[in-house]
Amino acid sequence: MNPVLLIVIPLGFAFFIPLLGFISRKAEKFIPSLALLINIILSLSLLPSVMRKPIIVLLGGFPPPFCINLFVGPVGVIFSLIIAIVGFLVSIYAWSYIGGDGKREEKYHMLYLLLLAGATGVVLTGDIFNLFVFYEILCISSYALVAYLGEKAGVESASKYLIQGSVGSTLILIAIGLLYGQFGTLNMADIAQNINTINPLHLFIPLVLLLTGLGVEAAIFPLNAWLPDAHSSAPSTISAILSGIAIKIGIYAMARVVFTIFGAYQILLFLILLGVITLLVGELSAFSQNNIKRMLAYSSIGQMGLILLALSIGTVEGISSGLFQIFTHAFSKSLLFLAAGYMIYQAGSLKISSLEGMGKKMPLSSLAFSIGAFSLIGLPPFMGFGSKFMIIRSLLEKGNSLFTTLAGIVLVGTVIEGAYFFKVIQRLYFKETAESEGGVKEAPVGALLPMIFLVVLIISIGVYPKMITGILNSCAGELLNRLEYIKAVFGG
Amino acid sequence: MRKFISLILVGIIASGITLSLLKIPFGTPKTKVGNYYLNRGIEQTGAVNIVTSVVLNYRGFDTLGEVTVLFIAALGLGMVTLTFKREKREIQPSSFILSVGSRFLFPFILLFGTYIFLHGHLSPGGGFQGGAIIASGFLLIYLGCKREINEKRFKLTESLAGLVFLIIGLMGLYFSGYFLFNFLPKGVANTLFSAGIIPLIYIAIGFKVGAELAGIINDLMEEK
Repeated sequence: MNPVLLIVIPLGFAFFIPLLGFISRKAEKFIPSLALLINIILSLSLLPSVMRKPIIVLLGGFPPPFCINLFVGPVGVIFSLIIAIVGFLVSIYAWSYIGGDGKREEKYHMLYLLLLAGATGVVLTGDIFNLFVFYEILCISSYALVAYLGEKAGVESASKYLIQGSVGSTLILIAIGLLYGQFGTLNMADIAQNINTINPLHLFIPLVLLLTGLGVEAAIFPLNAWLPDAHSSAPSTISAILSGIAIKIGIYAMARVVFTIFGAYQILLFLILLGVITLLVGELSAFSQNNIKRMLAYSSIGQMGLILLALSIGTVEGISSGLFQIFTHAFSKSLLFLAAGYMIYQAGSLKISSLEGMGKKMPLSSLAFSIGAFSLIGLPPFMGFGSKFMIIRSLLEKGNSLFTTLAGIVLVGTVIEGAYFFKVIQRLYFKETAESEGGVKEAPVGALLPMIFLVVLIISIGVYPKMITGILNSCAGELLNRLEYIKAVFGG
Repeated sequence: MRKFISLILVGIIASGITLSLLKIPFGTPKTKVGNYYLNRGIEQTGAVNIVTSVVLNYRGFDTLGEVTVLFIAALGLGMVTLTFKREKREIQPSSFILSVGSRFLFPFILLFGTYIFLHGHLSPGGGFQGGAIIASGFLLIYLGCKREINEKRFKLTESLAGLVFLIIGLMGLYFSGYFLFNFLPKGVANTLFSAGIIPLIYIAIGFKVGAELAGIINDLMEEK
């Protein structure tokens, strides 16, 4: 199977949705799930072969660097697998949560599928301008989806997101222009191959512009002002996708730029600093929230800081622990937003205090929420334990007092995280409420199934982390080993 | 103090950009990818307009993405404006000259737009430009006469044109193993029927962009 289908299938199905709408509006909501299911199967079937040797897909059939090429290595395939899994589960949840027979629902389902197509494109491409194009697909569809509810808050936060995101994208485009001017090529492997022929002084600004632009989407401090508003005013399915997938794409692109293209290990210390600040700012802000979705959004910022910190350690162990944390957060945070979605719907309010006593009224959703929270905090036997343990271990392995201090800071972050999550869980289970309005029902089966599936994933990877660590190590190898990357593209 | 820090930051960025720009050999034939396209473009793609051969053949995948970006922008705008309340207010009907004139010009604008996207592989222009010209015709109709586009037909055009682009790409994948491979005969350069799949894709893009931009105009009308 040609890996380009991973991008073409969601695109094609998204274009197909309006045509289906002429026959049956009701069937439209199943299309995203179908497309993403195909993507899951495709990624799984590609995984064994790319673990041995990355596949280079030439688009248009010209030799690189003259055409656009996809670099389908372990990183690309595992990311597209995660995108497809989370996207598939959230799209099933959306069957009942969003529904689908109106004009706006139709547009929602199309934009949703296009967002994930863009995300898949970013992780698979081997061309920096192509990366920008797919990044734009991802960003523009998320601006629109944040405004989906059409409320004043939603439109306002979408505009805020749009302005900050567009400034970021512009910076990326300028950086790509400067790189093209100096190297005469847009192929990532070709730039990586010639990076040493150019004076680093002239590469500094393109690198800074790229990191700033991508940092907006990755919500790195101080570029994260849009995130709490956007994630909290979007519908819960979109919050789940934005937190679970979209911001990870930003950090993936940053890692690709720093490690593969520039090989800029000198700035890792600076990135670690940014990561630590992001971690502390995010977790402390999350602690002081009384709006459940804002709390989850700020917690995403904190987690992004942790991920950036882990990736910037720059060793194989560090990078694989960072990738592990990316996947933990993708599963756990989307589970948290999905579980919170129907609880908020039933409680009729976003206030944490209005969720009191939900443990009895909506036992399964509350259980799913608690498991997501435990996994993010890093309790065994959930997935988050493995990833946080690996981060701490790779920090300590550096043996340097700076990194030992960092390990301490990560633990402090975990304690804060635990504090605010336990505050919510305590309210869910141990607060008695007046048995008044009896209208609170458990979420529908269609919404519970994806949550249960995510819980199963989190627990099974938590119990058998070996299932994924082998893949993570070869992913880290792909990111760190620039010579292999260049050789794979040019076949030398 | 704040202004001072901002000034220093701007200074650093400006000098960095200047340093990078000074290094770029403008006007010299140093860029390697560019040279390759200039020297071998016509022979490899059959399109005498090298820009078109780069946009649709060498970097056709980017164009697929760009088309999707425009599609998403139109779609998102349509979704957001659906929730807006449209005001009813008194408007003056346009003058006789304007309404007759715009109706008279409309078919010529469509014809010109079609010419631009059909000849994209021969002369400056292409699907995006042709589509924009076509949409400007619809804008004129909106301004001059009280007519509306048929949203359903436009939506159908958009989706079909997008699918045509993808299917042409997939046919390349099927026939030769490369997505968006130029699998049709390249013909004689400088004639209308040349350059293989390039004119076909530009026709699809022309229709798609025209329908999308006209749809954006329709969505942004304050009153319907």
